[in-house]
Amino acid sequence: MTTTASPESPPQVDLGGEARSRRTDKGFTGLVTFAGLTVLIVLGLILVTTSVQAWPAIAHDPIEFLTGTDWVPGDEIFGTLPFLYGTLVTSVIAMVVAVPVSIGIALFITEVAHRRSRKYIVTIVDLLATVPSVVFGLVGSIVLIPWVTPIYQWWAGLMAPIPGLNAIFDETNTGRNYFTAGLILAVMCIPIITSISREVFATVPEIDKQGAYALGATRWEMIKGAILPHSFGGLVGASMLGLGRAMGETIAVALVIGGSLTIGTNLFEPGNTMAAVIAQQFGESSGMHTEALIGIGVVLFAITVLINFLARTVVRRAEIKMKGAHS
Amino acid sequence: MKLNRRTIFGTITAGALAMSMAACGGGSDDDAAGDGELVSGEITGSGASFPDAFYAAAIEAYAEVNPELIVTYNAVGSGTGKSEFGEGLNDFAGSDSLVKDGDGPAEGSFQYIPTVAAPITISYNLPGVDGLQIDQETLANIFQGAITTWNDPAIAATNEGVELPDTAITIAHRSDGSGTTSNFTKFLDEATDAWTLGAGDEITWPEGSIGGEKNTGVATVITQTEGAIGYVDLADATETGLVTASIENADGSFIQPTLEATTAALEGAEVAEDLSYNPLNAAGAETYPIVAPTYILLHTEYEDENVAAGVKEFVNYLLTDGQDIAEDNSFAPLPDALRQQAVDALNETIA
Amino acid sequence: MTTLQGQTPPDLSGRNLSFRRAFANRAATTLIALCVLVAALPLALVAWEVVSKGASAWSLAWFIDEIPRNYRTEGPGMGPAILGTLTITGMAALLSIPIGVLGAVYLNEYGKNKPLARFIRTMADVMTGVPSIMMGLFIYVGYVIVIGDKTGFGGALALACLMLPIVIRSTEEMLRLVPDELRQASSGLGARKWRTTLGVVLPAASSGITSGSLLAVARAAGETAPIIVTVGLTYIYKPDLFDGQNTTLAAQIFRNASQPFAASQERAWGAALTLIAIVFVFTILSRIIAARFAIDKR
Repeated sequence: MTTTASPESPPQVDLGGEARSRRTDKGFTGLVTFAGLTVLIVLGLILVTTSVQAWPAIAHDPIEFLTGTDWVPGDEIFGTLPFLYGTLVTSVIAMVVAVPVSIGIALFITEVAHRRSRKYIVTIVDLLATVPSVVFGLVGSIVLIPWVTPIYQWWAGLMAPIPGLNAIFDETNTGRNYFTAGLILAVMCIPIITSISREVFATVPEIDKQGAYALGATRWEMIKGAILPHSFGGLVGASMLGLGRAMGETIAVALVIGGSLTIGTNLFEPGNTMAAVIAQQFGESSGMHTEALIGIGVVLFAITVLINFLARTVVRRAEIKMKGAHS
Repeated sequence: MKLNRRTIFGTITAGALAMSMAACGGGSDDDAAGDGELVSGEITGSGASFPDAFYAAAIEAYAEVNPELIVTYNAVGSGTGKSEFGEGLNDFAGSDSLVKDGDGPAEGSFQYIPTVAAPITISYNLPGVDGLQIDQETLANIFQGAITTWNDPAIAATNEGVELPDTAITIAHRSDGSGTTSNFTKFLDEATDAWTLGAGDEITWPEGSIGGEKNTGVATVITQTEGAIGYVDLADATETGLVTASIENADGSFIQPTLEATTAALEGAEVAEDLSYNPLNAAGAETYPIVAPTYILLHTEYEDENVAAGVKEFVNYLLTDGQDIAEDNSFAPLPDALRQQAVDALNETIA
Repeated sequence: MTTLQGQTPPDLSGRNLSFRRAFANRAATTLIALCVLVAALPLALVAWEVVSKGASAWSLAWFIDEIPRNYRTEGPGMGPAILGTLTITGMAALLSIPIGVLGAVYLNEYGKNKPLARFIRTMADVMTGVPSIMMGLFIYVGYVIVIGDKTGFGGALALACLMLPIVIRSTEEMLRLVPDELRQASSGLGARKWRTTLGVVLPAASSGITSGSLLAVARAAGETAPIIVTVGLTYIYKPDLFDGQNTTLAAQIFRNASQPFAASQERAWGAALTLIAIVFVFTILSRIIAARFAIDKR
């Protein structure tokens, strides 16, 4: 099956094969519908097999499982809240960093860069996507952490007198924390968000852009007035894919997060995430502990569903608000 | 049990050999590698990551002895190794812990074979301070966050003449579930009154402690963080040049984590009928108190005689010539009595 | 950077801008350029680390020899892992890209805003967030235990599950960018929808689809957790994905990096460099291929 391009010649009027063509059309419709349904089938199977496996641990104490803050496998205490918290915190950090940066890169490529330098920048971003996550984790844990630890400590000292901020950036003795994990996740999300944002920006009608310039807008005003409103929906879609990657990332996070069981406001404290804890503990687990780890996967699944629905609502509302924006 | 695809392939390539092995199976006693024909084919094991470095070295050395039998050992973790064993996905499993209900393997379907043991070092990063001596209660208090600075009187009490800085103590621990954590916390739990955090493959460490992935991760944390203390296996501590503390043993003397002190601990340990044993805090003046055992699980019945012969040959190698490789890799060989018991059990399990 | 002054806008009276507007424009442009730096910095760091630590491992034997069984044995050998990476990821791509692209065709050309299509779209986004190890566990329970053996094909299935949603969603975004005029022109010439889709829409989006699929391949090739669960380990060449345990570069990176020995650490970095190189070569190759088929959008 050819996928990226079909060897078909450009469409020709084929009057003879009308009936056959109609049948092919039906067959093709069936084929693509089935392909679309594959996602549901696979996801359904994953959900069913994992839920069935996880059920004993969740049913063991469902309230504790979702809201408990203690995770003591030896005593069959399985509270997953700290991991949920860690996943949310690291993903938020990743998104706060990656989305603006990716949009910036995409704008640079589409609006600012020369045609020639454009290629190089695209290559840089694509190269970033080729780095395996385990390598990000290794470089992070061996090289990055000794560098950032003093920076964090310096920053925490700087923030100490400022109420609010001093709780978020508090003293630390290590670079293995939420913040480092979030930064590494951000780097890992940049390629996919950039790649899609770039394509989205490319769809902004040239007329809109020229119109903005004709009205005397600067480049920034053109971007603000013509490009961003037009692209809002697509950008949210791009960010969602990035978020999905951030929440599901395992090895890179496991290597730099520090693996501790805390819920605190301090981003410079070690923590853990749902995906990372599954990978860390799965090998040595057995019995209900294994089931609880799989249960974390099921909960993570439920959360992604929730976040996706929220994001879609945001897109719909925003698109109604921004007149003329359609995608 | 399901039919193994792998075993089919193995049988096709070496059916004839299987027959001959079955014929001479009774004859190979202590040293199967030495007499009779060698088995060919492929056997796979999976499980504990703790003895991985030793098994990897032994597998390479064994490939020199018998290049026809390809042995793989995949360090997926004891828990996964045991559940794969229960599913019949591997031919033998490595495990740091004993089989419990719900682990996978059915009762009576497996045999423990102890292979090697290794000390768990207490390594720390305190520039200028070597050879710290830590007693058991103090060790527990350090790792549960009750002692927070290095110049605490409890540490000073056992280190007369050593100038201790007021550096804050940072606990480094394993972020992944591990038999090392299990054995270390089990030791603290059994040996000390102070320890309150329980024992297990992973426990809740005090706030502010740092987790590293695998032994190498913990070693990295310790080297990166001044004032850090953590538990690391001997191979990693030696390779990364960590400073190790002397730990008080059951007789009250302070012992460095060495292989001799480990073998001494094994000699002092009581071996159960199923060959499981607990070398933690063993008696004896020269024993190191924190020693982790590791086992191989054998099926009591193999569908494929060729695989059975292969497993027997390889495990026998581990217990005989392979023991010499252990020390080069910072693992302690079994004392002779226990080793002989293990060989006997192997011969009994796989006839 | 001189690149900042490219493409003179039609607005030629830039000098008359108020200071505030001019400043905002300058500041925004600088910030945008800084973003590129933010992405280039980690890449430079990773590239430097991987090349400086991994290049010494490379030699002819590195690409050909079997993997040393002992961590402490110095010297080369990653051949089986290189082959395993190519075959397992290749098989995963073969399984997931056709289904993913066709699925995206359904979403964008047929389903559009129907409830089913919206549901699939959301679920595909959800699926990108499922941790890779869950995919591994699913295949472990549903395939490995059933056939009773860990195989390379099991790994390919797990990676395919991982790639599928990425391929679908990125392809769909690309299909949305194909101007409707192309479709209308095609059907105006009497082409049926399937012909329009296969002959016009997909080729028009081919470069975007390729880059999206490559992101998926790149991610899959770097996955460790599902490989360990489903594929197992081997030191020797296993060209047949159905013949017992296999291995990949990513798994070897993780395995060798978790040992303290200098020899295994070097192999880990060497494997990292090899993996990055392989994915990069593929990226460039498929770029070139895609560019041939692309109908220029401009």
